[in-house]
Amino acid sequence: MIRIFAGLLARAVVVLTGTALATFALLWHAPGDPALSIAQARYGTVVSKEVLDFIRAEAGFDDGFWTAFWAWLAPLIQGDFGQSSVNGRDVWPDLLTAMSYTFPLALVSLGLGLAVSVPLALIATRRPGSWMDRSAVALASVGVAIPAFWLGQLLILLFAVQLGWLPAMGAERTAHSILPAMTLGFGLAASLTRILRSGILEARGQSFLPAFHRRGVAQRNIARDHVAPHAAVPVVTVLGLELAFLLEGLVVVEVIFARPGLGSFLVNAIFARDFPKVQAMVILAAVIFVVVNLLIDLIYRILDPRMDGRDA
Amino acid sequence: MTIAAHGLSAERSGRTLLHPTNVNLKPGERVGLVGASGSGKSTLGHVLVDTLRARGTSVAHVPQSPDEALDPLRSMAFHWREAEQALGLSPDDARRADLFNALQIADSDLRKRPWSWSRGMQQRFVIAMALIGTPDLLVMDEPTSALDPVVAAGTMGLLDAYLRDRQTALLLITHDLGLAARWVSRLMVMEASRIVEDAPTPRLLSTPETKAAKALCAHRNWLELPC
Repeated sequence: MIRIFAGLLARAVVVLTGTALATFALLWHAPGDPALSIAQARYGTVVSKEVLDFIRAEAGFDDGFWTAFWAWLAPLIQGDFGQSSVNGRDVWPDLLTAMSYTFPLALVSLGLGLAVSVPLALIATRRPGSWMDRSAVALASVGVAIPAFWLGQLLILLFAVQLGWLPAMGAERTAHSILPAMTLGFGLAASLTRILRSGILEARGQSFLPAFHRRGVAQRNIARDHVAPHAAVPVVTVLGLELAFLLEGLVVVEVIFARPGLGSFLVNAIFARDFPKVQAMVILAAVIFVVVNLLIDLIYRILDPRMDGRDA
Repeated sequence: MTIAAHGLSAERSGRTLLHPTNVNLKPGERVGLVGASGSGKSTLGHVLVDTLRARGTSVAHVPQSPDEALDPLRSMAFHWREAEQALGLSPDDARRADLFNALQIADSDLRKRPWSWSRGMQQRFVIAMALIGTPDLLVMDEPTSALDPVVAAGTMGLLDAYLRDRQTALLLITHDLGLAARWVSRLMVMEASRIVEDAPTPRLLSTPETKAAKALCAHRNWLELPC
């Protein structure tokens, strides 16, 4: 188990280093003069050559790619994300504030997604092919097809404009997070329902189940001890991919609902060409991905130890 | 009490898997069910077990392959405890040790999951599970196909003693006529989803009447060369 964990950890380090290198290389080679972009974001449209030279020297653009990469990476490894190239403030506190808005929203959305999809999948699989099943599948397909930016606006129209029950913009009160959480949660619920449904149906078709009936094991115990674990395996696998959907959705939802958070943080940084902030955000996203997938790998190996050919 | 099941049949999506069939077994009687692959032997075994179970008769079944009997995500200990609970029995280490010693799987690790045991050991574990209770009928589907000849003979010897002690009837599904000749007193021959011949073992092996039985017995004299 320790050897497996070390292997997964080594893989995580390689992924993170690769991400850091790729992000930096992309921004470094992006068309246009980064010094000019920074100068324009800082001082306005007309910029003198002296200012550009000053910014180049300050940002380390004159020293070549690898020197500049290392000058960025070395503090990053120690947890120093550097300063904003626009206003000079430390990136980390701003990033922390953004996370304090985004993570609770992400968790509530995930919870909502599970709370909707699990009962729906159970109802759907009670009698496969029945009208209940077909309706659940249709609902899930529609849910997967509706993009978050459209669903979000529909919800605003209905609950904020027409009915006036919920606030649409901002993040001052808990009520402000209901519509964003619904927007993300319903999208998640739709794809989770499809995966859960097929997982349950496949688990029910396992060739060993009739033997448990013939042994006299109660139906309820078979469902709990033999169908559920097999149905959970694909769901756990897919949760890692759902995270990508969630992060992407968060950016859209935060912009639509004018919420502070990682999504707004990233979009604002891109518009301002604030490279240290963009890089910090990309690295953070990569770390989240790697950590969550590491956890999922571990859970998966506990659920189904056939993965590594020995017992856990 | 004689075990009698009449009008057993099965079909799936309009295709007949088993024509209406009657099966009768006296207490402690051993009957072999033979026939070519696909003739419906396993189906008859399943339908018989399910019908008797629904009627409340105590019956145990050993499927053809341990893959059809064990959940790969659950430990052997879990399977054992679950089988005991299903029979309404409390855990009994002595009973388990007796069965495991007899089937020569006492040294194996019950915390492991099925796939880390060899197939032969998995098969013997499944047979041991079938013997936890005291069923009126034991249906075994190719019980020795995963076992080497020495272990197979030992396993059948254990079963022989067990069945005799408890007056448990046996339905042995097999294509191994040598095995059948050694252990059962009556043979039923299946062809195309129905029983076509039913006779005492020596009579059927020496003078088969139907084409299916003749085809099975054609290769050698099973009575002279048992096992």
